[in-house]
Amino acid sequence: MDNFWLIVSSAIIAVIGIISIPLLPSKIKAFSNFLFVLLVAITTSIPAINALMGNTTDILLPGSAFFGEIPIRIDALSAWFILIINLTCINGAFYGIGYMKPYKEQKANLSLHWTLFLIFQTSMLWVCMLQHSLAFLIAWEIMSLSSMFLVIFEHEKRETLKAGINYMVQMHIGVAFLTVAFIGVYFAQGSFDFLAISDYFSINYNAWLFLLFFIGFGIKAGFIPLHTWLPHAHPAAPSHVSGVMSGVIVKLGIYGIIRIALMLKTELALIGELLLIISILTGVFGILNASVHRDFKKMLAYCTVENIGIIGAGIGLFLIGAGFNNTTLMVIGLSGALLHTLNHSLFKSLLFFAVGSVYQQTHTRDMEKLGGLIHQMPQTAALFLIGSIAIGGLPPLNGFVSEFLIYTGFLNGINTIGLTHSTVMILSLASLAFIGGLSLLTFTKTFGTIFLGNPRHELHNPPSEVSLWMRAPQYFIVAIMLSIGLFPQFYFSVTLQLIQSVLPVSSQINSDDFMPMATLMGNVGLYSMLFLALLIAIYLLRNYFVKLQPAQKSETWGCGYVAPNLQMQYTGKSFSKSLGKLVGFVVDEKKKYIEIEAGEIFPQTRSHNSHFVDFFENSIVDKVTNRLLKVLNYFQFIQNGKVQMYVVYGIFFILMVFFGTLFNLI
Amino acid sequence: MISLVLIVLTSLFFMGIVVRTKSIASGRKGPGLFQPMKDVIRLWKKGAVYSKTTSFIFQIAPSIYFASIIMAILVIPFGQYKGIVSFDGDFVFFAYVLALGKFFSIIGALDTGSSFEGMGASREALYSMLAEPAFFILMGSFALYTGHTSFHEIFVSLHFGSYISYGLGTLATFVLMMIAMIENSRMPVDDPKTHLELTMVHEVMILDNSGFDLGLILYGTNLKFAMYGALITNFFTGSFSIGVSILIFLAVQFFFAVAVGILESFSARYRMGNNAQFIFTLTSISILIFFGVLLIMGKFV
Repeated sequence: MDNFWLIVSSAIIAVIGIISIPLLPSKIKAFSNFLFVLLVAITTSIPAINALMGNTTDILLPGSAFFGEIPIRIDALSAWFILIINLTCINGAFYGIGYMKPYKEQKANLSLHWTLFLIFQTSMLWVCMLQHSLAFLIAWEIMSLSSMFLVIFEHEKRETLKAGINYMVQMHIGVAFLTVAFIGVYFAQGSFDFLAISDYFSINYNAWLFLLFFIGFGIKAGFIPLHTWLPHAHPAAPSHVSGVMSGVIVKLGIYGIIRIALMLKTELALIGELLLIISILTGVFGILNASVHRDFKKMLAYCTVENIGIIGAGIGLFLIGAGFNNTTLMVIGLSGALLHTLNHSLFKSLLFFAVGSVYQQTHTRDMEKLGGLIHQMPQTAALFLIGSIAIGGLPPLNGFVSEFLIYTGFLNGINTIGLTHSTVMILSLASLAFIGGLSLLTFTKTFGTIFLGNPRHELHNPPSEVSLWMRAPQYFIVAIMLSIGLFPQFYFSVTLQLIQSVLPVSSQINSDDFMPMATLMGNVGLYSMLFLALLIAIYLLRNYFVKLQPAQKSETWGCGYVAPNLQMQYTGKSFSKSLGKLVGFVVDEKKKYIEIEAGEIFPQTRSHNSHFVDFFENSIVDKVTNRLLKVLNYFQFIQNGKVQMYVVYGIFFILMVFFGTLFNLI
Repeated sequence: MISLVLIVLTSLFFMGIVVRTKSIASGRKGPGLFQPMKDVIRLWKKGAVYSKTTSFIFQIAPSIYFASIIMAILVIPFGQYKGIVSFDGDFVFFAYVLALGKFFSIIGALDTGSSFEGMGASREALYSMLAEPAFFILMGSFALYTGHTSFHEIFVSLHFGSYISYGLGTLATFVLMMIAMIENSRMPVDDPKTHLELTMVHEVMILDNSGFDLGLILYGTNLKFAMYGALITNFFTGSFSIGVSILIFLAVQFFFAVAVGILESFSARYRMGNNAQFIFTLTSISILIFFGVLLIMGKFV
């Protein structure tokens, strides 16, 4: 079938789904939603795969006189993101079937939820396909709003509602920046087509417009200091939604940035360096915060910030490479960014699904209340472990592949360019290693606290392993992750082709130059396989020797202390305490407690409360909003709730317009 | 291949030299050179006690830790001979494979649910994290200096430039030696001979391991020392013939072991709170190396 009709049919399927899901009985709502998601995914993935093979789609829809013609283009870059969206949404919808089972009583709520899920997926797909500023903004807005409503599924909780509103407000600040940027281009070029942006860049100063776009898209992606919505929205949302949001919606910010970055004409090196520095800071800041939080979904949200930093570093390398006509750096940077986008969408949704299973069984997001879950939920534990290894960028899983590419990019950057760049590159290299070490600490802490040791807290219901419905998509993700980890050359060649097709004509690359790079990736996969084989061989050998000798079970060695209790276990908080003290200047800990007075001989029961606050939220965002609130309070009298007054405002406005035109003021 | 054989050979008596040095320094005769290895072999023949709290993680962790060290050794070249695994950027692979081993040894410790072992695990995670940037800046500087990014190519082309590179090699030796001490949890950072669990790092992590697993972990430490020794050797063997290289290798390993022994005999462990600072100092030494490289290459204007 023609690509155009496939896209049209995907829209029709989505509309049928939106109408029919509310009418279906609540038992099969989730499943039918999954089917619709799957159908939409199939119909949009075919044009996407065609585009990756070199057969791009370029359709002009007739619009109104104001809109002009609306171009729908699926080039290789859109295709890559469309495939990621579809993959993550299919997994999310499938996982959601099991995850939402306990909520089956809330019929209306569920209808809304699943309808919005479908709208959410479709709008994300259209964001990637539309290349018309206004139409793009509409799709972008639908995406933000539908995801906002998905976040506030448990709207009866005050905290959730607050997170949702926070998310909505921040997204609209982003939209404001995007709108200004697009309108600026429209007034300069007279066209809403994305091609006009490229034309704009070739005749105007590049950095300012890019800055507008970067803020607009960066809020979605979560670069510091624009990330403050992430740690609130992700914990509030149901886990399959957090998985999809963290997996893809933040990636659409990345999509936007890459899309604009590909059009830049001048100032490439400057923008690239700034982007690289911001990204590295984002990475370090994200993982530092992730390491101290005890809410495991908040931890994962900060970890998303960290990974956005790594992806941004790849884009920064690409721009620096483009600025210095260094094609190797361009290709390595961009393919690292693209692969890490895919990888992150995989392991982050896996991790969110795994902790979602934990949340469903234990009804708490506080890791300090858990412990020893590996005995009741061994498969979930193993899946979370695999996700942790992957997200730490450790071989033989997929995280290593993309991080290795970015490391290679830094090493290449050190070699080819002058003093300032060498310094930036080597510091970035060290920071990436630092991020790697920190994520090792973060994930050993999280895994250890949730799944290992003994239970720290009595749970109302004894947890048990979740249903196969919820585990199956996670195994599916693990399979894809392993395929990337062990056969990275295939994925690298796909991104190489992608880059070749989307680069502007002026900086074409010769794919034969990158054969050594492809073989190198092949080697990485090969040695990862060797490593895996070695692991298994040593383990089998060890098992053989262990079986020869008697083994006995006993209590954990308490170092001579004979009455240890469960409260004496090491907690997650104490695990990251020394780090928290070390980096206290960034990760601020707020404590609430009353000191015991000197004369207090019989102290009363008292409580101790400590939590970590986000540096940027606490010292920038909150301060600004508080000032704003204070100032705006003075104008509260305008909105006084009296209808008469509002009529007066209307008349006042009309009079102003009238006199304005009368005296030629406007 | 040759590096693997030599490292395994050295690992058999490396700890023996350390122990002997410490004995002589404290006026004792000390055990034979192969005593630490004999201890490991004895452990391999013993049965094990497992805590009731533990899960399969505790069973697989020591093997994965050991496998990661073996894999890391495969990357190390010897003089002009490549390691079994050699590709551009292999030192990243080296560091990350070791990190995987560390990941498992940490969660293996947490698996016991003991308050002491968690403490050790937390410290180990923190210290190794702080040491990472030093290693990467070090290797990155040499990548800049030589224009290559694999261990083998870096070491082979290190000494065709100037004699300052030997100076850099010495600084690098210091950094690598300290990293080896941190990674193996030895003296200035951790005292393996301490008898109080509260002040331990590595020893407290493996409190519950016994039998074959404990043997694997202990032998892993020996291998790690020999591995870092081999890495240090490579800074000096660049263009020598194989016979001379092997002699240099053995000499460096010997001096490394003696240095470890002397360090452990005549210095006290730093306060836990100061360790982080100390480890981060290594990063600044690495940056010094980086500036040295920039100086040689004339990149300062």
